[in-house]
Amino acid sequence: MITVESWGIAGSVLGGGHAGRAWLGQSRGGALDRAALALANRLVGNAEDGAGVETSGGLVLALHQAAMVAITGALADVVVSGGPAVGWGSPVVLPAGSRLRIGRLLDGARCYVAVRGGVHGAGDELIVGPDPAVPAATEGAPRRPLQTTLRVWPGPRRDWFTASAWSTLLSTPFTVTATSRVGVRLAGAPLVPLRHQQLPSEGLLEGAVQVPPDGHPILMLADHPTTGGYPVIAVIDDADVGHAAQAPLGSTLRFAAAR
Amino acid sequence: MRLLPYGPRAVLAEFSTLAEVMASSGAWRNGHLAGLIDVVPAARTVLVVHDGSLDTALLVPADAQDVPMPTGAATTIDVDYDGEDLAYVAAVCGLPVDELIALHTGAVYTSAFCGFMPGFSYLVGSPPALHLPRRSSPRTRVPAGSVAIAAEFTGVYPRESPGGWHLLGRTDAVLWDDARDPAALLPPGATVRFRAR
Repeated sequence: MITVESWGIAGSVLGGGHAGRAWLGQSRGGALDRAALALANRLVGNAEDGAGVETSGGLVLALHQAAMVAITGALADVVVSGGPAVGWGSPVVLPAGSRLRIGRLLDGARCYVAVRGGVHGAGDELIVGPDPAVPAATEGAPRRPLQTTLRVWPGPRRDWFTASAWSTLLSTPFTVTATSRVGVRLAGAPLVPLRHQQLPSEGLLEGAVQVPPDGHPILMLADHPTTGGYPVIAVIDDADVGHAAQAPLGSTLRFAAAR
Repeated sequence: MRLLPYGPRAVLAEFSTLAEVMASSGAWRNGHLAGLIDVVPAARTVLVVHDGSLDTALLVPADAQDVPMPTGAATTIDVDYDGEDLAYVAAVCGLPVDELIALHTGAVYTSAFCGFMPGFSYLVGSPPALHLPRRSSPRTRVPAGSVAIAAEFTGVYPRESPGGWHLLGRTDAVLWDDARDPAALLPPGATVRFRAR
């Protein structure tokens, strides 16, 4: 068993989420940076969408049993007491009685801890699942640099905007003014709509770049509402949505045309 | 129908009427299309999500006059018609309360689409006499199980939330259950009746 002594900022246990339930009103949910959780899971021998812990810093885990862990996602200040150091992207066995602290995040916005066997449970007590048949990785993973340029495809309502709005999107920097499990709010040169009529709510995709009337885009992440009434000018390539979720508050994002 | 681009793994089909949306989204969901992940109807659109391999030429509009009969029996929702807005709605519609309840329970509804929160279904089929705009100021707290109306729609709140619809009553029905398949009690296409208790 593992006790969560502190969840820190936005800490929770989650897996890969449920795709295919938007028709029932539920978005995917699960890890915001799916590739990072999948990597942490692979390193310890779990299925890629197995449940791990997502945190934006301040997580403290107390291990009551020996367990293999791996940390991916954002680089973080990691301190282990009573066991060996845990570096980014390397599976390490921590002994019973050790404590793993994920402090401040140094570059991204979400850090992942996978535990061999996976974790589940309600509240602050996490049960470690049965040992998987797959062996753990024998060497660490190379660090995937965090991208600050996100590839975008034209969205369904691109024609609601001026041609210059599209080139503004692709050529100017945007600042992250808010980030949550629902989405990332940006500020920059406003994207001016051509039309001002109301759009009946329509299906939203993870990665959608929605533009409210103030012209400042919102990027939809794993817990997005399944429908929305603001025009979607673009959609972030699936491979880059995790990078959008990793953009810290105040950081700069740019967009480039996907092909 | 127009197909609008939504990246390499989705396409947004736009229709003129909700009836067309319901016909095509039902046909596509049940059409065994290779690579399909989700078919998400809304008021005038259907978002088709796939794994990148779907042949979007197969997304031909279904005939809205030719909606297939629902396969399952109607889901009956038992309602205590004691909602906070019951008297107000009756007054605005110019109906005695018992007649309002008779109209609401007499109709057969179809779940057109979900949204707002998991398991919140927009049900169509209410008599035009009960169509009225949503409240001018939304409530900050609507209890779970509230049966409510706005415009042409009836809905049931799966859990407590803010809301701007007119509250007619309450039900104990479980609208969302993660362990159920599908998790929503009233998925798009479901036939629904309300019964006063």
